[in-house]
Amino acid sequence: MTEVVTRDPRRIIEDLHARYVRCIDDDRLEAWPDLFTDPCRYQITTRENVTRNLPLGLLECTSTGMLRDRIEALRRVNVYEPQTYSHHISALEVTPRDDGTFAARSNYLVIRTMAEGDTMLFSAGVYADVIEIAGEGARFRERIVIAESRRIDTLLVLPI
Amino acid sequence: MLETDERLLNWPNEGNRRVPYAVFTDPAIFARENELIFRGPTWNFLGLEAEIPKPGDVKSTNVAATPVLLIRTADGRITAVVNRCSHKGSLLCIEPFANRKNLTCVYHAWSFDLDGNLRGVPFRNGVGGKGGMPEAFDLAEHGLERLRVETICGLIFGTFSDAVEPLDAYLGEAMSANIRRVLDRPIEVLGYQHQVMHGNWKLYMENARDPYHATILHAFYPTFKLNKLNMDGGIVLDPVGRHAITYSKSATDTAGAYEGGDLRSMINDFGLADPSVISWKWERDDGISLAVQSIFPSFVIHQIYNSLAVRQLIPIAPDKAELHWTLFGYADDDDELRAIRRKQANLVGSAGYISMEDGAVVSFIQRGIGGDETAQSVIELGGYDVATSDGVRATETSVRGFWNGYRGLMGFDR
Repeated sequence: MTEVVTRDPRRIIEDLHARYVRCIDDDRLEAWPDLFTDPCRYQITTRENVTRNLPLGLLECTSTGMLRDRIEALRRVNVYEPQTYSHHISALEVTPRDDGTFAARSNYLVIRTMAEGDTMLFSAGVYADVIEIAGEGARFRERIVIAESRRIDTLLVLPI
Repeated sequence: MLETDERLLNWPNEGNRRVPYAVFTDPAIFARENELIFRGPTWNFLGLEAEIPKPGDVKSTNVAATPVLLIRTADGRITAVVNRCSHKGSLLCIEPFANRKNLTCVYHAWSFDLDGNLRGVPFRNGVGGKGGMPEAFDLAEHGLERLRVETICGLIFGTFSDAVEPLDAYLGEAMSANIRRVLDRPIEVLGYQHQVMHGNWKLYMENARDPYHATILHAFYPTFKLNKLNMDGGIVLDPVGRHAITYSKSATDTAGAYEGGDLRSMINDFGLADPSVISWKWERDDGISLAVQSIFPSFVIHQIYNSLAVRQLIPIAPDKAELHWTLFGYADDDDELRAIRRKQANLVGSAGYISMEDGAVVSFIQRGIGGDETAQSVIELGGYDVATSDGVRATETSVRGFWNGYRGLMGFDR
């Protein structure tokens, strides 16, 4: 954290978001865990649970190992219908934190397309992030996905 | 009651081991289920006492299509009323949870107390002596429809039926015993999930009590030796077979059965980079590592290692249902158990390692059964009977039991 940040942190965080989306939407999921620190916290929850101060959501990973396990399991163990996401991210707000990291908040929209061709608005919500920037690179120390959509259609298998 | 000669379906002569696919697709059968099952002589799960702890607490729920409010009254009783103003039918409460002194309709402000009695009608006496309700209008005749309510260990059930037996007799001793086992202490809600199933509600209820699929479809189970049919375990049914518990004891695992065959479900070269998700702790000395219990018509309570949840299934349409998961722990859990339950929440629910497939397979069946009104499923594993099965889970007796209970209520048993 002592390195001098030479680029605008907002641009670096936008790049991180873009890499994140490309990993998921272009089916390069094996590269997705590399965007997190280890340990980390990646949780998908809902506005309902957050508002009611309930700790559990839909899934939670606290290490890059757990992130990798999710990907390995969806490749080899879990059964589901082939599907792809199209992520749309907007309204990014970046706030420096006292420890040199950055808090970021943005809106997301995930549009899901099934193998048969049906496209639906799968989830809308907010990313609440804590991001470490070291040199030109950035990683998520924490990414909390707070879905406004409390109903999950069929199942959730790809990360949001 | 409908006359039996208005029968919608002739059940196959084989009985409980054949299910005509029309029961999953026919809108007329779906409508009759609402009348004969959900508004009939059954007890339906409404919520947890822990969800409405304080006077005035209200939870919105449904019994099939009927919207229901679950309420803690000012004096601490639990009531349930239909969430429908007796004037024009509007919902009285649209929030999932609320705290209210009374129930007042937004439309014309008819106001009800928390027992459902009509207390106020604006402009009842008109304005300036003109208009208003007729002399004969009696508030007492226009209260909300009420459900009978009973509880067991913090689970709240309601019924529209005056005829159904009390809850403990409806459940029976074996079912009550497992509920008392899992809910032996005050609980704390840890999170909610809501999952839309694109399939008939009965496909999910078959699934939840079906030990045959559990270790095949859900490959995570045998791959990590969390649940295998060669472990000691069994199926417990009530005398009709409509309620079921399937359980297993992980410490009794033996080799064989899964290795070397065509099952994709035991993946030998798959290991977890972070196995903390499946590390767990014994909480009881009965050796039962997994117990999934279904109460007819549409309630499930599970203990899967240290994961605890209730599941309430609401039929929406013949080909659609919504599954509400309420994950919980015990109020006196220490930090270690809280952390374990939080990790294991990854196993269950709509994104669960050992449950996400159920959402998929229910929709695969719903799409698979179209096009032939005479086609039917074959449910013969373990024979033809409906009976408690000690030590053997390579059987579909619990699925046959569901249909035995269903056919009786629907008049499909003749």
